[in-house]
Amino acid sequence: MDLLDRYLQAVKKHLPWQRQDDILSELRANLEAQLEDKEAGLGRPLTTGEAEDWLRQIGPPIQIAARYQPQQYLIGPVLFPTYWFVLRMAAFWVMIAYSIGVAVQVAVRTPSWAAVIEGVLRVPEVLLTTAASVTLIFAVIEFLATRYPGRWPALAAFPGEWSPSALPPTEKDSVRGETPRSRARDIAAVIMIFLCLVWFLLLPHHPYVLLGPGAAYLSASPFQGAPVWVQVYWWIVASTLFQLIWRCIALYFGKWQQQRNAERTAVAAIGLIPLGLLLSIGDHAYITLKHPALDQLRYGVALNSINKSIYMCLLLFCAINVLQLLWGIGRMGLNVYRKRAAAMR
Amino acid sequence: MTLSENLFENLRLELRRGCLTLAVLAQLRQEHYGYTLRKALAERGLEIDESTLYPLLRRLEAQGLLTSEWREEDKRNKRFYRLSGDGQGIFVQLLKEWQAINASINNIL
Repeated sequence: MDLLDRYLQAVKKHLPWQRQDDILSELRANLEAQLEDKEAGLGRPLTTGEAEDWLRQIGPPIQIAARYQPQQYLIGPVLFPTYWFVLRMAAFWVMIAYSIGVAVQVAVRTPSWAAVIEGVLRVPEVLLTTAASVTLIFAVIEFLATRYPGRWPALAAFPGEWSPSALPPTEKDSVRGETPRSRARDIAAVIMIFLCLVWFLLLPHHPYVLLGPGAAYLSASPFQGAPVWVQVYWWIVASTLFQLIWRCIALYFGKWQQQRNAERTAVAAIGLIPLGLLLSIGDHAYITLKHPALDQLRYGVALNSINKSIYMCLLLFCAINVLQLLWGIGRMGLNVYRKRAAAMR
Repeated sequence: MTLSENLFENLRLELRRGCLTLAVLAQLRQEHYGYTLRKALAERGLEIDESTLYPLLRRLEAQGLLTSEWREEDKRNKRFYRLSGDGQGIFVQLLKEWQAINASINNIL
């Protein structure tokens, strides 16, 4: 039957070549026996239409051939959840590392929006490369685990042993009195802190990102900031970087629901250093005149008034910061006491 | 096909998959080639598509549960399958398991 021959020929094209002839001979024998049965039942050969209906019912050649192939996975169901987790983690951490790299590059070279935009435009390429690398690694693990289960027992048993006690605590175990935090919220916070860091790094060469049009007035004004502000600036950058690293580590270890108090206390402690630097300036000269000899008479009184106001504000900030620090230390101590008391019960 | 029909079809196929293997192993306590096996199963109320049955025979043979040999019958070469020694042992275990599941489901119902 010409139609059956054409059908089998089409199936053959999609069969694994090593077993092609063997499978096809068997399939031919089965289908011919079935055809004979049908024709015997009808008492005549099948018409072309009937033969077409019969073969259509058996299924498309490519589908029939596919059933003879072993089940193939790039990454199988056992490995897939781990792969998915690692892929997301890798994408996240690579983005953090890449963003810091771009921010440093922008700050070190001549900072410009073009460099920032260029960095942003390269994000898809970085993400795709990361995804491709992770996928390739897991595909190799899957291949080795499937092909050589005896030789690679550790891969076959991937992800191996785990301990329930190593799981992160439930939300109700987080610091008392605080609302539970979500992972998504903390990821958003990491992104915001990172954007703040980029913003800070852009400030020295682009003061308009802080002051807007006021930057032009400032450069034209007779006043300028004292050198101590440069030190303060770097302390603020360091503090922001510290927060970013802290949050990333907390996220990585799945402890984003904890350590909020410790983080707040540490940031308050770090924040005291630049405040201390500013308050230690003897004559409170936070703003100085660009040309003292020329402008002292004209702007001297206004300058004193501005510096006094800044000093008062700094004192207020410092007081708030000290209170925050004491509050944080107190709460941490209380939590330790509560945990010990609960453990003794 | 509606969403619920599609869902039912998926669940039905999932339910059938394991039972088909058991039925094929049971039927191959006697020797058959592909087409007669399909007919024998259909006569006992279990219809299986060609595209499912013939590759399944190959897989079971590759797993060592069946043995096969090419033989001429009615002037045509055919591949005859039969339960292997290992297949016999696995079949008995699977049958016990199936009977236990069946009894449990009946108890639940």
